[in-house]
Amino acid sequence: MKKLLGLFLIGLMALSVVASGCISSSEEESTKGAIAIVYDVGGRGDLSFNDMAYLGASKAAKEFNLELVELQSNSEDDYVKNLETLAAQKKYLVIIAVGFMMTDAVKQVADEYPDQKFAIIDGFIPDKDNVMSILFKENEGSALAGALAGLIAANDGKDKVGIVLGMEIPVLYKFEAGYRFGIKWAEDYYKQKEGKDVSIDVLYQYTGSFGDAAKGKAAAQAQLSQGAWVIYQVAGGTGLGVFDAVEEALKAQNKKMGPPFAIGVDSAQDWIKPGVIIASMMKRVDVGVYTAVKDAVEGTFKGGVVELGLKEDGVGLSTVDDVMAMFNSLPEDTQQQKLKDLGFNSKDELKQYLENTRKQVPDWIWDAVKELENKIKNGEIKVPAPMDKESIEKVRAAQTWQEMMELAE
Amino acid sequence: MKRSGSELLKAINLRPFVESLIAVLVGFIIGAIVLLAFGYNPWSAYYWLFQGALGSTYGIASTLRYATPIMLTALTFAIGTRTGIFNIGAESSFYFGAIAAVIFTNIWDNMWFGLVMGMLFGALWALPAAVLKVYRGVHEVISTIMLNWIGWFFVLWLIVGPYANPNDPNKTLRIPVNARLPIIGYGLSIAIIIAIIAALLTYFLLWHTTMGFGMRASGINQKAARYAGMNPKMAVMWSFLIGGLLSGLGGAMKIMGEGPGYAISQGGANIYGFGFDGIGVALVGRNHPLGIILSAIFFGMLRAGTALMQAQAHVPLEIIKVIQGIIVITVAIPSLYDLVKKAIHRGAA
Repeated sequence: MKKLLGLFLIGLMALSVVASGCISSSEEESTKGAIAIVYDVGGRGDLSFNDMAYLGASKAAKEFNLELVELQSNSEDDYVKNLETLAAQKKYLVIIAVGFMMTDAVKQVADEYPDQKFAIIDGFIPDKDNVMSILFKENEGSALAGALAGLIAANDGKDKVGIVLGMEIPVLYKFEAGYRFGIKWAEDYYKQKEGKDVSIDVLYQYTGSFGDAAKGKAAAQAQLSQGAWVIYQVAGGTGLGVFDAVEEALKAQNKKMGPPFAIGVDSAQDWIKPGVIIASMMKRVDVGVYTAVKDAVEGTFKGGVVELGLKEDGVGLSTVDDVMAMFNSLPEDTQQQKLKDLGFNSKDELKQYLENTRKQVPDWIWDAVKELENKIKNGEIKVPAPMDKESIEKVRAAQTWQEMMELAE
Repeated sequence: MKRSGSELLKAINLRPFVESLIAVLVGFIIGAIVLLAFGYNPWSAYYWLFQGALGSTYGIASTLRYATPIMLTALTFAIGTRTGIFNIGAESSFYFGAIAAVIFTNIWDNMWFGLVMGMLFGALWALPAAVLKVYRGVHEVISTIMLNWIGWFFVLWLIVGPYANPNDPNKTLRIPVNARLPIIGYGLSIAIIIAIIAALLTYFLLWHTTMGFGMRASGINQKAARYAGMNPKMAVMWSFLIGGLLSGLGGAMKIMGEGPGYAISQGGANIYGFGFDGIGVALVGRNHPLGIILSAIFFGMLRAGTALMQAQAHVPLEIIKVIQGIIVITVAIPSLYDLVKKAIHRGAA
């Protein structure tokens, strides 16, 4: 026993020598200040929500020469601890909390540290001077996704589309409501164009998680087997499984391109599975995070709610250019690896393939979606944004988009 | 009877403690090698781990907050092991304790009522496995695993269904303000004190009462215990019930004592996994209530230290989890070795 103990002590000492050797090189203090970002439990690597937040934060950090400190949360028990620990360090220009789930925690810690600026993505905290709430009009962007899905289904003579969601939180009600609105609008549009009545059912499932691709896959498979022609994923990392399910359904029919299609969310996800993903509903979390940092740096930071919609480019349906921009923001070696995996020799081939994917859908559908976009932008059409169970039930029960629009007012 | 201090120390037997301490050291050293291999500075990583966990009042409060629920679920497992059963039902008793606290404090907003109902439902959920074991000989590993799943989905249904908060559908109803556990400071409630008292009572029960003696005796050898006039069946029964009660208490206090939400989240995200973590805590604590107090605090430290370890040493959470996994495994090895040895022994006999 004694011998063993001695051995450990020697090892420990050797280690401390090595460690003290490299401690000096690890500190880098050439920056002008620091910002911190706390991720939701889904964490980095979801290729959507959290990664977009990182994109905005790293862009701002580079531009304003700031140190970027990132914290992941192991479970929701970590939110308060992570925020509190950062706030106690008193060295961050602004602490950004990414995700609705952190609302209560931000409220609490913001009260304890009134001099620390906070920004929260998706959380509604309207009444604190040191908290900027950045909200998105996901209902507007999702309406475009719904119109696209509805018209593709109607055009192919199908009567079902799907949506796979994450946890049942108010933010996600906005996605669901917008999608339903877009589908009803598409039914109406198709009727006027072709003179045929269509009725499209929406299959929906809340999977209860944002980080479980297997759950997303199972949910999408169930919807596909019931005849869903387009599936919109609103589930972060869980949604990656939706893409897998649609891809497998295509493979089973020896097809490389849809339909059936998937619609991506948060970032321009089309590049993840070109041919499978027809478009993505972008929620520009990066724009939100960047805005918060910029305001904090320039001294124009104000507490309260900032809402970003179609008009403000806070949400939107991805174009091929958006997808390529997203792809280009990935590290160089990741890009090369991904191109190889997909079987493309160059980025141009990827771009061409994405354009071909979109040609599977007739031009008039894309024009129709554009038309809806313009009408929402100029305020002619309003999309409902339910924030509780009761109002989402009303949207679910509505028979026409006009009826839904009344709910929006 | 009078005992001198050194005799008392001898009675507690320090050997397992020293073994565990050495195992902790080994774990940290292997962890350091992994950190080096990934290109991180182990010295600063560990420095900030301890700084985050113990370097401030808030850090210590966080450590104790994280230690509380796993201390209780570890006791459940330890009582099982001491009576010769491998009870992994702590997980679902914890769920029932949590949901019972939500339901009953919303009927009568009294803290003690919530705690008692939590304990009651935790124990009730342990009853089926106990009855199956004692009267039908169903192996407790099978029954508790299955009951964990049944409990999980039933409680999930309660969370999203009848007890969802209509104004905040991603959570259950909140614990009313009057029924919440008083806060000592820095987000730490009196739950930790109750948990430590529970551990001490468990120790007292197992080592200083006739009932506890019977439980431990039947854990060592059922036939011998029976021959000596004890009732191993009742011992096993009590072991399940007291175990369930402790985990139920843990679940109730998790929700009643931890802000800012004071509610169960959708998907059970803040009540999941504590029973399983408790097994690790119990193994590290050598299935001894006093060891479990220390080992739960040790686990709490590892959790509390992650924030500064990420912020200052720039080690990503994934790597931190790898390191913590390594440390926990090395620490659990001595106790796992004991368990396996016992199992082989029993198999041979």
